[in-house]
Amino acid sequence: MIYTWTTLWFFWSLPSWLFYLNLGEVIVLYAYISVINLLESLLVLCVPLGLSVVLPQKWFRDSFVSRGASLVILGLGYAMFLALQLRTSEAYPGALLKVWSIALAVGAIFLLVFMAGKTPLVKKVIEVIAQQATILLFVYLPISLISLFIVLPRVL
Amino acid sequence: MSRLSRRDFLKLASALPGALALARLLPNRSWPASGQAPSRPNILIFVFDAMSARNLSVYGYPRKTTPNIERFAQRATVYNAHSSAGSFTVPGTASLLTGLYPWTHRAINDAGLIARNLLDRNIFRLVGEQYHRLAFAQNLWPVYFFDQFQKDIDEILPAGSFSQLDFVFGERFKNDPLNAQRVLDDFFFSQGTAPKSLVFSLAERISLHRAVAHTNQGGYPNGLPQNHQYPLYFRLPAVFDGLMSTVESLGSASLAYFHLYPPHDPYNPSKKYFRTFDDGWSPVDKPMHPLGDHWSHKDLYRFRRAYDEYLATLDEEFGRMLDFLESHGVFETSYVVVTSDHGELFERGERGHVSPLLYEAGIRVPLIISSPGQKSRQDVNSPTSSVDVAPTLAHLAGNPLPDWREGELLPLLGGQELPERSIFTLYALKNPAFAKLSRISLAMRKGSYKMLFYRGYYHSGDKFELYDLQNDPEELHDLYSTGSAIAKSLQEEVLAKLEAVNAPYKS
Repeated sequence: MIYTWTTLWFFWSLPSWLFYLNLGEVIVLYAYISVINLLESLLVLCVPLGLSVVLPQKWFRDSFVSRGASLVILGLGYAMFLALQLRTSEAYPGALLKVWSIALAVGAIFLLVFMAGKTPLVKKVIEVIAQQATILLFVYLPISLISLFIVLPRVL
Repeated sequence: MSRLSRRDFLKLASALPGALALARLLPNRSWPASGQAPSRPNILIFVFDAMSARNLSVYGYPRKTTPNIERFAQRATVYNAHSSAGSFTVPGTASLLTGLYPWTHRAINDAGLIARNLLDRNIFRLVGEQYHRLAFAQNLWPVYFFDQFQKDIDEILPAGSFSQLDFVFGERFKNDPLNAQRVLDDFFFSQGTAPKSLVFSLAERISLHRAVAHTNQGGYPNGLPQNHQYPLYFRLPAVFDGLMSTVESLGSASLAYFHLYPPHDPYNPSKKYFRTFDDGWSPVDKPMHPLGDHWSHKDLYRFRRAYDEYLATLDEEFGRMLDFLESHGVFETSYVVVTSDHGELFERGERGHVSPLLYEAGIRVPLIISSPGQKSRQDVNSPTSSVDVAPTLAHLAGNPLPDWREGELLPLLGGQELPERSIFTLYALKNPAFAKLSRISLAMRKGSYKMLFYRGYYHSGDKFELYDLQNDPEELHDLYSTGSAIAKSLQEEVLAKLEAVNAPYKS
């Protein structure tokens, strides 16, 4: 979800970049973008991993795939919702960013995650989605690793 | 009571080593004493983004927007018909910095860059290594050019210097600032669209919203002055204080280029000037242009008033800078240049400057240059262009003129008045940078005449307009349809120029 969201925006910016950058320069930019996405993905991955360590085994680790995947899907879905609300720099959606509002959303997400592990059908669907989504790993991960080799010598 | 936030603490802590280093340098880098002839004069360039000469009282605008620039003009050479070569920041600044027209340097798109094979052509290289060359811009697009000219600039101040809120990140990657800025500031953290990533961009946007909401905006009824594209919020007194201390720390033989964001939109005047020009004065009403944005006359009046008030706010701070320069004897030892990268339009339904409409308000900019020890005002009335500034700086620094120059030496600074010379301004935002110019508007000034040319905007083909600026300074009477000899001659010259600049490109 992280890669796809950013890749869509990359394609949104691409026509403008192609106006004045050559292909090599665009590839370098995409390498930077991939590396940042990789860092973000690792950061997000830490959340279910951390929860599986912290929470009792029965609550999370026993249904790691379904609960972990639903947590990530719902969490990033909420992030997408927020991102779309923050489209301009002028409007300040005050209520949306209040601590209670975010806490409420996080609470609701955890509730849904808990229920996802309890409902066989939902659990099955999420497990299938998670299974199918692993194909993206085979695309994004090599790209990110190659990108690392492009970016690291430039910034270090 | 204000509290020191963690962010403020980190900023202070990171500034401390720099301040200590600066303090060590200071004793060796002082201005030559007043009256002492400098071996190489210092050069200070103040570029105010989007400052139209048409709105400055120093150029005859009825509102008293710039009393301090008028004061400055009393000891300077004032260029009364100076045009920028581009109508928005990228081409305008690139031409100012390189002395090349946009069709040569090719920085013609938003956030565009100067052609890679021309990077040795810039004012920093032209004044030479004997100068300490410092550059500062609150607008990131000029910062891209600084990054391109890195080898020729000794010191680049971060865009967020002297700012109250600074969410610009790319330039902190010292080894690859150009790509880091493009990815971070122009992509992930760009404003006005949804955050481009679901973790870092979103976190940045939320932090920014919160920081803005918690920032003291007192003294600015419309909000703090800011860069509308990149998250920089600042108070003008703090910015000018910073510039003054920067100038104070410069040694002899320095070139300092300061590119300030005001009076660029958003127009955020200080409380003192807010509604100052609610005076009932109204400019000449002009007909809507089909390529304009169709803003109503009432809206344009409102925008113009806020712009004028912002100009007055800026001018007050510039007045403090003048006092500082006077009291430190800087005028005795330095060239001080005031100019802009492009103008600002409030007419024919158009507001702003990123526009194919190249009327005078959008392209006529101030150029006022004080020479060392100059005590009285001189005026130059023949047309000059922003491409003239770079070769003139080379000359003032005592260096030979580059053979690749497209501009001329400025009159009274080594050059002569050339009233019949052709001056160009190009707008090609929607044209690919390295392709034939096929969707453009072009202004050509020759003597008192000005021809406007549009290609790629009308189904009916190319379109021309012609004005006699001496008899019709408001550009209300299009003379092109009269079919006069001057119209034909200028049309031929415009088309020949376009053919020549398009020759290296296939499509």
